[in-house]
Amino acid sequence: MDTQFIVSLAIILATFALYIWIAIFNKAKETSEFYVAGRGVPPIWNGMAIGADWMSAASFIGMAGTIMVLGYDGLAYIMGWTGGYLLLTFLLAPQLRKSGSYTVPEFIGDRFLNKAALIIAAICTMIISFTYSIGQLSGSGVVIGRLFEIDAKLGTMIGVVLIAFYAAFGGMKGITWTQVAQYLVLIIAYLVPVIFMSLQITGNPIPWLSYGDIVGKLGALDRELGLSEYFAPFEKGTKWQFLALMFTLMAGTAGLPHVIARFYTVSTMKAARWSGAWALLFIGLLYFSAPAYAAFSRFILMTQVAGSKISELPAWTKTWVDTGLLKVADTSGDGILQWNELIIANDIVVMATPEIANLGAFVIGLVAAGAMAAALSTAGGLLIAISSAFAHDIYYRILKPTATEKQRMKVARITIVVATLLAGLIALDPPGAITQIVAWAFAIATGTFFPALVLGVWWKRSNAAGLIAGLLVGLGVTLTYIFAAKFGGFTILGIIDTGAGVFGAIAAFAANIIVSLATKPPSQEIQDAVINLRYPEQMTYKDGEIYMED
Amino acid sequence: MRKIDKSVANGYFREKNTYMVIYFIIWAVVSYGVVLLAEPLSTIYFNGFPFHYFMGAQGALAVFIVLLFVNAIVGDKIDKKYGINDKKNEEIGMGSTVDH
Repeated sequence: MDTQFIVSLAIILATFALYIWIAIFNKAKETSEFYVAGRGVPPIWNGMAIGADWMSAASFIGMAGTIMVLGYDGLAYIMGWTGGYLLLTFLLAPQLRKSGSYTVPEFIGDRFLNKAALIIAAICTMIISFTYSIGQLSGSGVVIGRLFEIDAKLGTMIGVVLIAFYAAFGGMKGITWTQVAQYLVLIIAYLVPVIFMSLQITGNPIPWLSYGDIVGKLGALDRELGLSEYFAPFEKGTKWQFLALMFTLMAGTAGLPHVIARFYTVSTMKAARWSGAWALLFIGLLYFSAPAYAAFSRFILMTQVAGSKISELPAWTKTWVDTGLLKVADTSGDGILQWNELIIANDIVVMATPEIANLGAFVIGLVAAGAMAAALSTAGGLLIAISSAFAHDIYYRILKPTATEKQRMKVARITIVVATLLAGLIALDPPGAITQIVAWAFAIATGTFFPALVLGVWWKRSNAAGLIAGLLVGLGVTLTYIFAAKFGGFTILGIIDTGAGVFGAIAAFAANIIVSLATKPPSQEIQDAVINLRYPEQMTYKDGEIYMED
Repeated sequence: MRKIDKSVANGYFREKNTYMVIYFIIWAVVSYGVVLLAEPLSTIYFNGFPFHYFMGAQGALAVFIVLLFVNAIVGDKIDKKYGINDKKNEEIGMGSTVDH
């Protein structure tokens, strides 16, 4: 056991103790607290909780590595994962908040007054959140694997047990305040190494101002090696793929059930509006830094690691080779490690760079704790979404309306444990890099909930038949495209699996509109309820008249 | 509950939507617009970056954050203009969940 291990473990345990203490302090006693935290969370704190809920292992562990590997083309993740907050905050969050529902499937069930719609929406929620949680478990595997210097698979198994226990315990109320703490841990853990690297490489402690020159230098290094420039656009995919991926991530953000659920925890439409703004500000701190992280890491690897003798590689290489995520092969046989002989998995860049840059045991441990916070907090939100969809929407609303609160909570907790174990099984041999798996979850949300909710909120003529057609067609097209592109090499305009949401969304919008128009319009009561969502809480729309409460 | 003139409520809705359309145009220009023009923009440099890279890594995100805060502030102003009382909204909002 070396110092590094002890320091990392101590920091992780200390942060866990903090989360558990907060969770016990705020343990959910009622159903409304379990699902929506009693609806009194102030917008700034809710913004931080949304930030932690949102910034998953994909943002924390995967994104910088993805940008490092893809160069400019990786920036689709930065714009896509942030630009979606405008769609969400303008088009959906306040209106959904006014509707007063607990979950996205419940909103759909009430808006369309149809049990089949509710069930299909609940199943879509489970598919999206489940896919997403595979990425989180695989992320926790990377962290735990590195910490104990064991295979990432074993790390994943430990992560599964931790996350299942953690999420089943607290419910939304505990999670809100735990997530605030997790946001603070993860953002500090992300900023500290970037600031240190910036200082080390450029002498300027403000990475956002200093890394522009490094990006320019990376272009020059690439030209020397005869590679295409780091910042050159559309080298790793077509322009259409970039646009399709960006759209998929934006619209997916607006359709993610576990993020929408966080907007139900505030008190008013106004608070939903402010939550969106605070959330993106807090998220932006990490997203501004990820491309800097990527540029500094690549610069250090190209100038300090590449070109050194294989026999004299620093100690960090061995521990990462042990996890199976780093490969060092002297293919040219000259005893010197060339840049192209270093195969570094996207997912270890953030975790490995502090070691590569020699930032010391404390920073390395802090980053490990931050990564665990990111994976845990998002997995917590996702599992709540899965358990709400099953325990609240299917079990309570359809299967057994007479169930007591106690029975429902029990079903919710069992669902969490089962879902975590299943996702963990798939995460043992992850079907892609973390950002890629997570992008699939977004593609499915783009193809299903984005069209369903936008039309459901803004078009009173959308009816149950149209909604069901839209959800099924969107889900079918998105899943088919993902599989055809990933395993069959099928592409349109160079758009690969991660951009599949575009096709799903177009198909779902078309199916929803065509089928709605071809069938009977919804009842006058429902149409009135849809118009009612446009106005603040105080205004009520009824029979073509508007009433105001004072 | 008192009945209010329908044109007042429609004014509220129209005003909010006008702003929303403006925000979405800016949103599309700084993200999709810049990506579409990435090649010509890459010859311009800003703060050490080629401009298309700067927009992808920092510029678009900064604009998004500003737009969301502008929306929150302008939204509050519109609410005030139409006599919406936030305290009252809170009471109604809290109450709209009883039947679960």
